[in-house]
Amino acid sequence: MKSVVITGCGVVSPLGVTRQELFQRLLAGECALKAMPDWKVNGSTGEIIAAQCLLQQDAIRSLDRKLRRSMAPVALFAALAAKDAVAEAGLSAEFLSSGDVGCAIGSTLGSPSAIAESFRIFDSIGLDALPAQQFFKSVSHTAAFNVTNLLALKGETLAPCSACASGLQAIGIAYDQIRLGRQTAMIAGGADEATPAVYATFEQLFALAHPADGLAPKQIQRPFDKDRTGLAISEGAGIFLLEEKEHALNRGANILMEIRGFATNSSGAQTSQSDADAISKCLSNALSDASLSASDIDYISAHATGTRQGDAAEAEAIRRIFGAAVPISSLKGQLGHTLGASGPIELAATLEMARTSTLLPTANLLNVDEECAAIDHLTAPRNRRPQNIVKDCFAFGGINTVLVGEIPF
Amino acid sequence: MTRDEIITLVNNVFVEQFELEPSELLPEKHLFEDLGLDSLDIVDMLVELHKTFGIALRQNEEVRSVRTLNDIYDFLERYAAEHPDQIRESGL
Repeated sequence: MKSVVITGCGVVSPLGVTRQELFQRLLAGECALKAMPDWKVNGSTGEIIAAQCLLQQDAIRSLDRKLRRSMAPVALFAALAAKDAVAEAGLSAEFLSSGDVGCAIGSTLGSPSAIAESFRIFDSIGLDALPAQQFFKSVSHTAAFNVTNLLALKGETLAPCSACASGLQAIGIAYDQIRLGRQTAMIAGGADEATPAVYATFEQLFALAHPADGLAPKQIQRPFDKDRTGLAISEGAGIFLLEEKEHALNRGANILMEIRGFATNSSGAQTSQSDADAISKCLSNALSDASLSASDIDYISAHATGTRQGDAAEAEAIRRIFGAAVPISSLKGQLGHTLGASGPIELAATLEMARTSTLLPTANLLNVDEECAAIDHLTAPRNRRPQNIVKDCFAFGGINTVLVGEIPF
Repeated sequence: MTRDEIITLVNNVFVEQFELEPSELLPEKHLFEDLGLDSLDIVDMLVELHKTFGIALRQNEEVRSVRTLNDIYDFLERYAAEHPDQIRESGL
């Protein structure tokens, strides 16, 4: 099978629109979470905490109207990130449209804001007020097809919808397409929106963190901490340019990371809970796919969202496979949970950790929970250059996804 | 509603919805060939005219024959004359 490398990366996040800015703001201890006084969720009590991306109008207007008109925020995030990924990779428009380049971008369910708007129009006015683009803004593959059209790609367009594993699964699927020789390059990643409806979904499941004990918004999401109470929703996009290694080398491209292995599996039982056995198996499968052993891994970018059960299951699986030998951190205490974009965004931050030889810590991890103990938690930045990294994501529906990468010196 | 009022409101729709410059909006301009609209834009044009003038246009056979901005002005002027109680600014 062919080898696959990353030669471009674009990020839209609540903590910056480049991976360099994202890394610096994370390193500086910034947190994207804040009160959302304008959000109304019937039946919800207390202050709503979330994070949102603030986009420059110039950046939005830089996209042609006929391409932009079918983009709700989820697709807009993906489009802006994809533009940056392609620019960094330095691929020509001719190659992008050759048919050898495809696109795999996942999201939880397309655009929740556009879907909500559709039903508001249906219920209040009807068809006469329904814009032609409302469906195209809403659909599950809206981020993927909009990026395909933006870049005039003529290859495959794929759009895995696996909630919070969507983006990382998309990268894995894109990796498969290239290593199997079906495409030479793929635009791949994930995007998602934070909206009141998304908030309500997690709130109903008692999965959200609440500042019940007077914590500030920046303190409420506490992955692996004994006082963790849940997550806060966030949004954004992380998009990569994946390319067949030989093709990248032949054109002298700068290689950001080689994808060494990928695995995705299911618990076959759980809807909302993580399963340590299935996560362990997924981690093992990905290491096996990468032809690496646990001791080869230098850093794990955790999924850990700050929920009681999810963090404990992930920690148990990490403990089983890696013991306490591999540094691990979750970036969600500062970023919030960017859902289907979390895998790619956190992978982008990991690339900067390697470039700067600085492993970022888990914010708000003051007292490691007993259930999450006996693994090498990063509670402060650590000066270390990771070569082989693991990124994992777990999702509603019992879906697990693990990517293994090698970052060249 | 006068023809000038109709022209102003229609042109506002084209500026806001289709990001065209007011100077481009000459009456003889063809919606597709000159102003760059396509079939999806026409659906949105009908939605926006509905919002602006308060008249449901999706099932209107006559509006389907418009080709230029002037055709739209003419159609709405006729409609206003025939249905003075139905057409109004800010219909929704």
